[in-house]
Amino acid sequence: MNFITIDKKDWTRGIDQSRNAYRVYGPVKDENGCQIKPLAPDTHPEMDAAVTVMSAKSVLFPQTEKILTATLDELKDDHHVMKPVETDDMPRVVLGIRPYDAKAVQLVKLNFDNPDYQDPYWCAAYDATTFVGLGVTHPGPCDFSTAVGSGPFSEDGLDVLMADMDDKYLTKILTEKGEKWAAACGFDTVADPKESQVLFDVLRKEAEKQIQTNVATDKLAGKTILDLYDAPFWDEVAFSCINCGTCTFVCPTCWCFDIQDETRHNTAVRFRNWDTCMSPLFTHHASGHNPRVTKVQRVRQRFMHKLKYFLDKYDQGIMCVGCGRCVASCPVNIDIREVCNRMNDYETTK
Amino acid sequence: MMGNLLEQMGVDRDRIHFSWISSAEATKFVDVVKEISDKVRALGPNKKFVKDYNK
Amino acid sequence: MDTCIEKIRAIGADLLAKGTVEKVIGFANGSIPMATRPVALTSEKDMDKLVFNSVCGLNLANYVSKNSLSKKEGKIAVVAKGCDARNLVTHIVENQISRDQIYIIGVPCTGMVDKRKIAALFEDEITGFEEDNDSLTVSSASKTETVKKADVLRHNCRVCTHRNPPVYDVMAGEPVEEQTLDQPYEDVDQIAAMDPDARWTYFEKLTENCIRCYACRNACPLCYCPTCFVDESGPQWVGKGQNETDVTTFHFLRAFHCAGRCTDCGACVEACPMGINVRDFTRKLNKDALELFGWEAGLDLDKRPPLDVYSPNDPNDFIK
Repeated sequence: MNFITIDKKDWTRGIDQSRNAYRVYGPVKDENGCQIKPLAPDTHPEMDAAVTVMSAKSVLFPQTEKILTATLDELKDDHHVMKPVETDDMPRVVLGIRPYDAKAVQLVKLNFDNPDYQDPYWCAAYDATTFVGLGVTHPGPCDFSTAVGSGPFSEDGLDVLMADMDDKYLTKILTEKGEKWAAACGFDTVADPKESQVLFDVLRKEAEKQIQTNVATDKLAGKTILDLYDAPFWDEVAFSCINCGTCTFVCPTCWCFDIQDETRHNTAVRFRNWDTCMSPLFTHHASGHNPRVTKVQRVRQRFMHKLKYFLDKYDQGIMCVGCGRCVASCPVNIDIREVCNRMNDYETTK
Repeated sequence: MMGNLLEQMGVDRDRIHFSWISSAEATKFVDVVKEISDKVRALGPNKKFVKDYNK
Repeated sequence: MDTCIEKIRAIGADLLAKGTVEKVIGFANGSIPMATRPVALTSEKDMDKLVFNSVCGLNLANYVSKNSLSKKEGKIAVVAKGCDARNLVTHIVENQISRDQIYIIGVPCTGMVDKRKIAALFEDEITGFEEDNDSLTVSSASKTETVKKADVLRHNCRVCTHRNPPVYDVMAGEPVEEQTLDQPYEDVDQIAAMDPDARWTYFEKLTENCIRCYACRNACPLCYCPTCFVDESGPQWVGKGQNETDVTTFHFLRAFHCAGRCTDCGACVEACPMGINVRDFTRKLNKDALELFGWEAGLDLDKRPPLDVYSPNDPNDFIK
């Protein structure tokens, strides 16, 4: 664990220097809000961008990813043989990622990289990515990361954590990947470890104080799945839901996908696309049966997965990092904080 | 209205044609198809609404 | 504006108490600034939960189409602004509901605000929003601003000529004055004035951030197909990913399925998490419906929409 300071006047020079070793991603503002995007050689991350509408999930797990391709031309020897597509294996760095998004990557990793199964595409992207986080000094009204095991200055999942100190970034290097990145940028002004850690602790406490929402998850583990499943409040919670995919797509911990093959003339391509449990198609069986044919069933399933099934299966807290994006983007203002509290407080009358 | 919306989106209006042809009007069908094929071919390859798998 | 909320609550309470309706669908306060949420209330004691203000931007007619209602449901009251009521009329004309299945609580509307426009006035996130007639007080951690509602109206509300519900069972307030506009379709004309390649680029750029969440489609009261064309799989018509041809096809075709039916309520844009103005597709069709057929959707229970009905006078010089 070492600390450096990065003078803001030196920041863009450093980023540009790192471009021969890293593909750079960072927040950019456009007229529709802030997004994390790959940065062209002459653009730099807008580090003061407010929370991005979409998470950094697409850096490792793009919404549409070509995974295999084949030729259908029967005159070729390898026709109908699916082959991997050329991937961009260049190391990449995500600048200005928020700590809760980095924790989310660790939660998603439980799904894509575990002893039973490793997703080759996600794992390759993860190994190639360095996460340079920026602590959130002013958490917004939808941020409830502290209630769910993360926080505005949490280090979980980050390779580097920076704190904005007006004219400079006080920077904590957390991993070897982080060290490599700092070296590639030529950021080497050492800072005193003791003092720096004290400063970080102060900033962390100040930021955490600003988080207003109280979300309780302590009693969720103790409830049975069926009690929560049969609870009477789901109709009310689900009424306004329009079953779009907004919450699932903006969520950094949602990981479901759909694989499809498309053909055109003599080319076949296999794509992986994000999928959403909010869609009626999600559980539509080939037989025509759909176990979650109604909206209420799908809404209930999403919250049960996030706040109960995942909790029970992995014992790592709920499948939510408190980024608040679903709260901010839901067209009908369904608030996971309210639902979580409702589930946590629910006692059966028997 | 469909032709108008496509035109509004920048698609060449001359690529879109409408015709009422009954199954009993075989000659008309052939004539219309020939006419449309010639007209559209003269406009050159269309680049819009074409899915590019190389991206 | 006089939000009529007291009257709305009183009407709702009365309807429920008398058993005239089983349920009142309206808006309730949201959990974050500038948010309201659709809600269905069944008890007259809950009428205090209803609100009506300048951030009630969704269309409640979305909740009363055939597949939204269970077969056993009785009569339902719906709080409806001008555009919402027009969509209820469209639902009735299209046989999604019968006239006697809904009780329309009409609300004269002076428009909804554009939340993104307001958010753009701030560098940081908005933490407070208050409305006092035409004056809005918006605050964030760094500052507080007072804006005039008229300056931050949504575009569809600025060009709205049907603020009063054309059909209703009861009006919750005095009708407001309708606007007369010289050039209501100026935005459509601006695009039409560009050359074709510029127009194509405009529409490509418009949808470049689309994440295929279908919030626009699902918020739209007109989109009630049990299986949408993008969800068909035998055959599959449109790819599900972010390829721009697939994205453009989705928006183009969805707009076309709303041709002659759209009331420009703006729920699609309100719902979109990426702030895409999908109305650029539907407004061209609305303009054509008006110019070619003299038609505006949802104004008359007894008239069928132009794409539903053949008349010898229909424009047909484009057909060979």
